Amino acid sequence: MSEAKMNIALDRSNKALSLENEKIAIEVKNWNLYYGDKQALSNVNMLVPENRVTAFIGPSGCGKSTLLRCFNRMNDLIDIVSVEGKMALHGDDMYEKQMDVSALRRRVGMVFQKPNPFPKSIYENVCYGLRLQGIKDKALLDETVEWALKSAGLWEEAKDRLDDNALAMSGGQQQRLCIARAIAIKPDVLLLDEPTSALDPISTLAIEELIFELKKDFTILIVTHNMQQAARVSDYTAFMYMGELIEYSSTDNLFTNPKVKRTEDYITGRYG
Amino acid sequence: MERGQFNEHISGQLNRNLEALFNQVLEMGGLVERQLDYLLEATTCDDRSIAKKVKQLDKIVNREEMEIDRLCAMVLARQQPRASDLRLIIISIRMAVDLERIGDEAVIASKLSSRMAKQRVQCSSLPGFKGLVEIASCGVENLKKSLNAFSCLDLSEIIDIVDDQERMELVQKHALAEIQEAFEKTGHSPEHLMEMIYAVRACSRITDHVVNLTESVVYLVEGRDIRNMDTVKLSEFLDGVKE
Repeated sequence: MSEAKMNIALDRSNKALSLENEKIAIEVKNWNLYYGDKQALSNVNMLVPENRVTAFIGPSGCGKSTLLRCFNRMNDLIDIVSVEGKMALHGDDMYEKQMDVSALRRRVGMVFQKPNPFPKSIYENVCYGLRLQGIKDKALLDETVEWALKSAGLWEEAKDRLDDNALAMSGGQQQRLCIARAIAIKPDVLLLDEPTSALDPISTLAIEELIFELKKDFTILIVTHNMQQAARVSDYTAFMYMGELIEYSSTDNLFTNPKVKRTEDYITGRYG
Repeated sequence: MERGQFNEHISGQLNRNLEALFNQVLEMGGLVERQLDYLLEATTCDDRSIAKKVKQLDKIVNREEMEIDRLCAMVLARQQPRASDLRLIIISIRMAVDLERIGDEAVIASKLSSRMAKQRVQCSSLPGFKGLVEIASCGVENLKKSLNAFSCLDLSEIIDIVDDQERMELVQKHALAEIQEAFEKTGHSPEHLMEMIYAVRACSRITDHVVNLTESVVYLVEGRDIRNMDTVKLSEFLDGVKE
């Protein structure tokens, strides 16, 4: 085993994680969300640690994607949505009136279930966000594209075809390109909404390994239907049910000794 | 926690595998229980033929351990158990190892009655006999309690096992001192006394393994690892279980 791999193995097995010892990136307090009259999230309270992977699991319709979309105010795009409570990114209230939502979304990037590259070249996809920010310096763009593609584990496959249309790439490559595009603008937080559900098992493993590497630079929140994936990639796991955060603890604890029966029933695949 | 919950998964295959695992551990436990019953009977009745049965059963016990390992590996690889299901797999492997060791120790201890009977010497005439029987009886009794606790997922009967172990250590110390003393006096063959020492030590190790079994059952039911827990914390924990 190489030294680097051995370090990762030790890193994965030796740390007994506890939120008390973490730096906090996002604080969620008494959070409620309504679609019109219907309440979709009820009194969610949680602290999201910095440079960790936090996974959200739960049955369909439990509110995990809705909560994830709150972290970059994607729900603002839905007219009937209203929210209550407090959500702060590194202490900054994300929902205060003066908050520049575009600036917030630069700090909180997002990758969706299906890869959605723009019908442009690989290069243009990655530097799209930078161009929106008005960056024209070719050397800076080149450097950032290379860094983002390397970070997304795509550089070796893409370096000789940067001008090719991104749509010609495989599904797994397209998703890694979307991750490269999201991290190119160097956000603080990366939101991943079922990022591998449309991918084959090998591409899925590549993305999972990437997530593990990316947490060194970013705080990552991931929604997944695949519990094994949550167990594999995350440091902390939140189990949601009917809009409530039922249990939230280190992934090790949640998957070996959950404290709440509903969590146990869900993760062990029992009726209930 | 109730036994029935291991049969409530949406996956019927997982239900069947976990049930099979439960039964396999209990079956192996039952065989080891019989080994210890035979050991006690052979020692107190100086019966060589019963002592032989301890060894015969050991071969089946060894095969049972391999079957439990196979089942656990299969469930881990194919069904990725979690939470209490995962704990069941972990402790089944651990329990199988402890049960197999108990069987091995029973074979070692049974050599006393076997060899003494051959030489027409009564075990009860040897120093340390009383202690040996007390330790072996405690092993049998507590093994039964541990297996019952595993079967019913009920810890109420096994909380005294840890205290028993402390008592057994004193009994062992006393028995060995008695044998040591006999070495210095005439009347007993050193060979016989050595056999007695081996038997006492083997029975003592049996009770150690029974404590391990108890710790495994606690981990399954409560999710708490009480191995190497300091005395104060352990006593607080056991008081909590009593309540």
